[in-house]
Amino acid sequence: MEKQLTKKDLNKLFWRLQSVRVTLNYETMQAPGFMRAIAPVLQKFYPDKEDLAEAMKRHNTFYNSHVVGNAIILGISAAMEEITTTPEDKEGVIALKTGLMGPLAGIGDSLLKFTWVPIIGSIGASLALNGSILGPILMFVLFNIVNMGGKYFGLVYGYEKGIDFFTKTEDNTIIQRISSMANVVGLMVVGSMIASSVKINTILEISAGENVIQLQEMLDTIMPNFLGLLVTIIVYNVLKKTSGKHSALIIISIMAISVLLKYLGVI
Amino acid sequence: MTTLLLTLWAFICGVDDATTQMLRRPLMICFVTGIIMGDIKQGLLIGATLEIMWMGIGNVGAYMAPDIVSGSIISCALAISSGGGIAVATTLAVPTSILAQQLLILWETINVSLNPWAQRLAENADVEGTNWLIYPPMLLIGFIRAAPTFIAIKFGSGAIQNIVDSLPTTLLDGLSASGKIIPAVGMALLMSVMIKEGKMWIYLILGFVLSSYLSLAVLPIALIALAFALLHDQSNHNGALKKQAAQTVVSDFSNEEEYDL
Repeated sequence: MEKQLTKKDLNKLFWRLQSVRVTLNYETMQAPGFMRAIAPVLQKFYPDKEDLAEAMKRHNTFYNSHVVGNAIILGISAAMEEITTTPEDKEGVIALKTGLMGPLAGIGDSLLKFTWVPIIGSIGASLALNGSILGPILMFVLFNIVNMGGKYFGLVYGYEKGIDFFTKTEDNTIIQRISSMANVVGLMVVGSMIASSVKINTILEISAGENVIQLQEMLDTIMPNFLGLLVTIIVYNVLKKTSGKHSALIIISIMAISVLLKYLGVI
Repeated sequence: MTTLLLTLWAFICGVDDATTQMLRRPLMICFVTGIIMGDIKQGLLIGATLEIMWMGIGNVGAYMAPDIVSGSIISCALAISSGGGIAVATTLAVPTSILAQQLLILWETINVSLNPWAQRLAENADVEGTNWLIYPPMLLIGFIRAAPTFIAIKFGSGAIQNIVDSLPTTLLDGLSASGKIIPAVGMALLMSVMIKEGKMWIYLILGFVLSSYLSLAVLPIALIALAFALLHDQSNHNGALKKQAAQTVVSDFSNEEEYDL
């Protein structure tokens, strides 16, 4: 079947996609923005005003995902509105959106926010620390190739192939597989960044008779950056216990404890 | 003039953060802040430090993280103007980001009033009208970033300078040291999102060892990680397939036995 949306329509969707998140609110999250983004497409599919109102109301329901997830879901929703004919099938788009928004947000977060941003952030930061203006510029370019490129590709792919890809029964584990692969890459990057960016040096000395042993030197020979790893694991456990709600409080506690340790001459 | 430019920059970054999301990291924000303040070098240094410090910070689901956009502009500008450099920037970044975060929560609450409007537009099938839906929240988010920046730069500069001068060095050194420990919170936040089962810990340790003992940079480690991700997926996937295959073989076998009997 010939697809109805032209390249111009898709470009319009892409432009409207950019402002979906600005309507973020505690009641329906990004619903008004999503409805606004897809409205011109709906207008094209439904010449009748009653049908159009139904369709717009359908897309003004609770919705929240990652920005690249938004692109894919917007593409799939447009395709769904185009191919479905009965009212029951049309309502199915809500279930499809609700089913995809969580997993896609998860993949988007772990790939873009928690893997790509740390990688380019640490490359950019190391250049900038040497005083090179290439640092921020390179980070800007690399970030937006994935950010903007991902949104555009996600939208077009979602519209053209999305329905087959995400509703094929034999491949229903694909989202889970991608996100667990993203987690492996993400965790290795996080592990390396614990070593490179969490820095604690103790100036404590242990005097054993005549000999004075520098504690930090001793730790470094066994495992470099051990204290950083230890603190990170402690913070991780505190976060787990409090289900991640008190990160600001933990940051302030770290500041207070650092001043105290400095005062006591430990670090 | 500088104050107005910084306010404008905060407005632009504020709107961008809620829409196109092209500039939302400290390194890029502080670079331009440094240009406006006339000290590119400090802008780069502070940007790089804050970038690492806030590495794992990001909104996850409905959780709103500290607002690093306003926090970066304010702390970077005040650190440069007071001459305090990185130590002042890291110290100011935390309270300013946390205060600005409260304004974001307010913004998200005010945005609830968009819903009746959107509902009315949908009922009237008013596609033209939806164009306007995004402008009030866009102006509001820009204002929410610009106003604190203006106030902080206009009235904060002198005050910050006095405070920095009067603080004991132990306190400043301690806060400066904490700037290198705070990244642990970001890392721990990332871990709590990504560690879904016990065996995932081994990848964290692997990354740590490659960096700590072998001093590899992030990019090579990410490339090595790709190989491990593929192997991880293959073993999981093959495991699942084998289990399936084993079950079918067993059931075939029992069928045959029945047939023999």
